[in-house]
Amino acid sequence: MNQTSAAALNRLHLSVALLSIAIIAFQLVLMQVLSITQWHYFAYMVISVALLGFGAAGTLIALARGWFLERSSFLLPLLMFGSAAAMATVVGITQAVFGGFDSLLLFVDPSQVWRLLLANLLFSTPFFLGALAIGLIFVQHVDRIGTFYFANLLGSGLGGIVAIIILGLLSPQQLPAVTAVFSLAAGFLILPKRRLRWLIAAAFLACALTAFNIVRPVSLSISEYKDLQRTLNLPDAGIVAQRNSPYGLVQVVSAPVLRHAPGISLAYAGEIPVREAVFSNGNWFGAISEWSAANTEHLLDYTTGALPYAMATPNDVLVLRAGTGMEVSHALTRGAKRIVAVEPHSTVLDLLDEQYSQTMGGLFRHPAVTLVPLEPRTYLATDSSHYDLIVLPMVGAFGGTAGLFALQEQNTFTREALSEMWRHLAPDGLLCASAWLDYPVRSPLRLAATMVETLAEAGIDNPAAHIAAVRSWGTITFCVKRSPLTPIEIRNVREFCRQMLFDPVFLPDLKPGEREHYNLLEDRSIFTYLDQILSPARQELYETYDFRLQPATDNRPFFSQFLRWQSLPHLIRLFGERAVPFIEMGYLIVVITFLQMAAAALVLIILPLFRLGWRGGNRVWTLMYFSGLGVGYMLVEIVLIHCFVLYLGHPVYAAAAVICAMLIFSGTGSYASSRLPVHDATPYGAAGLVALMLLLYTFLLPPILQYTITFSMCWKIIFTMMILALPSFVMGFPFPLGLQFLARRSEADVPWAWGINGCLSVLSTALATIIAVEAGFTAVFLLAAAAYVTAALAKFWT
Amino acid sequence: MPGTSAANIENRLQRVLPKILFLPFALAFLLLLLTGNALAEEEALIYKNARDRMVRTQIKSRGISDPATLRAMESVPRHLFVPETSVPDAYDDRPLPIGYGQTISQPYIVAYMTEIVQPKPQQRILEIGTGSGYQAAILAETGVSVYTVEIIPELAKNASERLSRLGYGGIQVKSGDGYFGWEKYAPYDAIVVTAAAEYIPPPLLAQLKDGGRMVIPVGSPFFVQTLMLVEKHGKETVTHSLMPVRFVPFRRAE
Repeated sequence: MNQTSAAALNRLHLSVALLSIAIIAFQLVLMQVLSITQWHYFAYMVISVALLGFGAAGTLIALARGWFLERSSFLLPLLMFGSAAAMATVVGITQAVFGGFDSLLLFVDPSQVWRLLLANLLFSTPFFLGALAIGLIFVQHVDRIGTFYFANLLGSGLGGIVAIIILGLLSPQQLPAVTAVFSLAAGFLILPKRRLRWLIAAAFLACALTAFNIVRPVSLSISEYKDLQRTLNLPDAGIVAQRNSPYGLVQVVSAPVLRHAPGISLAYAGEIPVREAVFSNGNWFGAISEWSAANTEHLLDYTTGALPYAMATPNDVLVLRAGTGMEVSHALTRGAKRIVAVEPHSTVLDLLDEQYSQTMGGLFRHPAVTLVPLEPRTYLATDSSHYDLIVLPMVGAFGGTAGLFALQEQNTFTREALSEMWRHLAPDGLLCASAWLDYPVRSPLRLAATMVETLAEAGIDNPAAHIAAVRSWGTITFCVKRSPLTPIEIRNVREFCRQMLFDPVFLPDLKPGEREHYNLLEDRSIFTYLDQILSPARQELYETYDFRLQPATDNRPFFSQFLRWQSLPHLIRLFGERAVPFIEMGYLIVVITFLQMAAAALVLIILPLFRLGWRGGNRVWTLMYFSGLGVGYMLVEIVLIHCFVLYLGHPVYAAAAVICAMLIFSGTGSYASSRLPVHDATPYGAAGLVALMLLLYTFLLPPILQYTITFSMCWKIIFTMMILALPSFVMGFPFPLGLQFLARRSEADVPWAWGINGCLSVLSTALATIIAVEAGFTAVFLLAAAAYVTAALAKFWT
Repeated sequence: MPGTSAANIENRLQRVLPKILFLPFALAFLLLLLTGNALAEEEALIYKNARDRMVRTQIKSRGISDPATLRAMESVPRHLFVPETSVPDAYDDRPLPIGYGQTISQPYIVAYMTEIVQPKPQQRILEIGTGSGYQAAILAETGVSVYTVEIIPELAKNASERLSRLGYGGIQVKSGDGYFGWEKYAPYDAIVVTAAAEYIPPPLLAQLKDGGRMVIPVGSPFFVQTLMLVEKHGKETVTHSLMPVRFVPFRRAE
């Protein structure tokens, strides 16, 4: 490669960067498209499996290295055009061929499994072809791996930014083809002089497919079980407003029969009004309520959520995750003087403000209302006010969520979050949360447990004196009060129940039989469990119940994740194997994904050994070193995203900032590594240094973030960059150094090492989720450090 | 004469040949008819056996004992209410998709809901959410007058045609918004809501007779968690949250 001119090398670097932009942007865009058509957990599974294309590319190069290297000048642009064509068309093809696929039917209809496998195969094509090109360049230019890896990481980082930009500008169905443009550009940059005719033909075809799919993209076929599609099935329903955003596709649906009155009392005899509703990525977000300052009654007066207003007349109200503002208008109608509405989905807020302000009676512009477009926890950390009432968003959904959102990080419902809210309560303030009653009962029990433990942490010896709860036919609302409940408040709760046909669940002087006057339960065990939660014996319930009930924590913020593996056989016996997946589908899918990927990764890692040979000085070394790096890097990325979502208060931008900063700083590190005088100890030293830094970060990062979270956003961004820069920079060293080290000993092993790194990186995304659920994010961070230690220890297997 | 003889043979052949040719066709047709009938009878027997097995293993064994309900479950051909691709699974112990995000409920849930509303001949029952029409047919088999409302026009049309074709022409099907019930035939002795919403429409409660029962399944399309029974007693309404399957307690068995 010494003959390669400087200009050609520069073009090749640029080409790698462009292709990397295309691949990462395509990955993020595909995630969005699949989240819209199916669910987030399905998108996660498909993309994880598709990313194994990276591992497969490494395996293929390892098996036929000579063949690829001989034809590289012709193959590289061809692969890039192929990847572009695949990016542009794969969504359309899967829609056309597998339009009938529905991930919700996976456990119901066996034929869906084959469709899923074929879809996985198709989605992996652009990644495989793109990775083949990058891998080939790495192998061909292993002597310059530092700079090429820099181009790769820099491009990947920029790909994240590109995705964020285009997600906000274009409709989701156009986006895959738009990302293909970068791959096309990468191919054009390195067109050789020989066999140009064939390449021009391929380029023309790829360009035509890309252009066609940008101009006339296929319409997305959405699962018929998604909230949006079910609503669109209503007569004369239609989408009346739409907005693209990195948060998700926001759509407003209007239908003459669309009504929203969650869990309304049977005492309500009025008409439930028709409303327009907002959906984000096809999931229900909220109804647009007509409101007027002249209203004296509110629909929510007839729900258990009105409990705090039955107990008191709060002046200062904080509504967390205010959504479309129903709780805000309720507080105003009930006479609140100051309302802070916190809602991070700024796209919805903009849409409501611009198009529905009149319908909503200027709710969000009301002088008493302050709108805060931040994550609730971030707002709480920066706010020093005290409130008479803090209202949490409702937990769960009518009829349950089938566990589709089990792996959603819910930072608003952790023990730390509720303690923070408790500190924001005025002396007689109320903290209020409602949940849909599910069966088997989980959400209400965990909510009660979180509230009771918050009281215990605040030093309340007798929690029963501070808590009121009422239950309707479908919902339960808990209110904890900073001071003990007064006899008047208790009387008001009883009167509220009588009027609304609700039953009290918790009251300091609750009488036997009072809990089931209007709403009878065949299974009364919920009361036993709730009483046990209120008693010091709650730990025993946590240990013996079939589902996890311990409060979620910042370290394990998965409020809706209840499944315990050891209970699975029992649940299958009780419900039958077909029903159990619908209790907690999200987590099951991740574990299934992990197992699928582990099996595939094993095959992809072992396969090249049939050609390279099983024995040899570098086998164990290569496996340990590159597995360690693959696992370690990805785990660190996932934990840091989790930390910075709370810190920056904006999940999408936090994820983008972490991914981009890490990749770009690591790229810089990789570039710097190419200037280092390399000797044998350097790779291990770099891996060891990363491990040490990660160990330090495990203990230092939380207090640093906690201390600086109250700073202005500008400072927080500067801190974010400073915090990420150092470890990311060092993390850019071990991979190129390791490849160079390997190349000096056995160049043929380089693609195998690259494949191992790819396979393990992908595998570790699912692994991170499983560990975070089972042991918490701290454990994930420690595992990342352990992975780098493993890489460093590979020294002894040289 | 040879010429005459040849002409005779030709004439005869012209007369006989169609008969000869017709004979195998007629025989084949007869055979087909007989076989077809036999096949249809055999098929009917297979489905009858499947239904009997379904009632025995999925319904009686779980405690459904109302004779009218059991008779209805034994007689309504469930396989004619599911999409063609799901016919082999029609008598399985599970719900099946019927399109538009809707399902035909698990046989046991249909039986449970039927038993719980205690249908008696001459009663009027309103169903909200016709779907495939299966639940309406089961109710009709118990001798009650069934009025059913389906919000998705395509499902309403298909169900109406299917019910007429299968001899359930007495069932009144309306395509419309179930929120308003069906004022024209109110009040009802019972209301069966097969497609639950997150609220109970006040007009439905108003159309329920004093002492009447309303039943609503609560859960996702493929997993009914509980059944809610609403009983109206004058101005007071009481709800019962019932478990279709007795799977309590949740403490681990060990």
